[in-house]
Amino acid sequence: MGRSSKKGPYAHPSLLKKVREMNETGEKRVIKTWSRDSTIFPSFVGHTFAVHDGRRHVPIYITEDMVGHKLGEFVPTRTYRGHAGKDERTTRRR
Amino acid sequence: MDDFVSIGEVTAPHGVRGEVRVWPRTDFPERFQRLERVFVRRPGRVPQELAVERARFHKGFVIVKLEGVDTRDDAETLRGALLQVPGDQVVPLPEDHYYVFQIVGLEVVDEDGRELGVVKEVLFTGANDVYVVERADGSELLLPAVKDVVLRVDVDAGRMVVRLLPGLE
Repeated sequence: MGRSSKKGPYAHPSLLKKVREMNETGEKRVIKTWSRDSTIFPSFVGHTFAVHDGRRHVPIYITEDMVGHKLGEFVPTRTYRGHAGKDERTTRRR
Repeated sequence: MDDFVSIGEVTAPHGVRGEVRVWPRTDFPERFQRLERVFVRRPGRVPQELAVERARFHKGFVIVKLEGVDTRDDAETLRGALLQVPGDQVVPLPEDHYYVFQIVGLEVVDEDGRELGVVKEVLFTGANDVYVVERADGSELLLPAVKDVVLRVDVDAGRMVVRLLPGLE
């Protein structure tokens, strides 16, 4: 059952506070969090969150198209190690 | 890039005419349709160069017909084999795109030249990719692959220059 729309989206209050402070001062720093169920608010765009995957904090940079999703959606908790050896898989610097 | 790069893995024979089912190990599976020759590397054997007669897509796999592999029994011998191309025949990439094998092993330094470690692994998240750097003391440093953090990648020099945001270490 979904969250009541009357309450609005949820994000951990400490995250909202930290983002608000950083947006006021213009500071950029990585926010470490365990709160995977926090919704990404528009004010989060341009910030980097280190979201816990159960083992370590994985840094993700928030972009506009991620708004409305939860932080945990972008950090998988299961690691796929892939195959050994060289293959034609690519990575991109955004 | 003299070594071979895998572009697919034979998972099973397909049909009775010597075709094989290939799991693509490339981000460019469409390359199979213009592939003329490929090196087949069976476990513990020297790579064998074969011509590709045809290739088509089927349920996420590529069905490939190789020259000289004409029966299901022939195809069965290729089960588990890797299809490879020489390193200089990989698909050229646009700016800011790299092959994972080019990134893994790069030495990571910050703007002041301080050595941070060596890239050990690339994580694929739902957002940016993440480079896992192994430090000298064995600990891990995770770097988001974004331009604010990864300033320069010099594959030829084997070096990556990064700017650590506060809170990243």
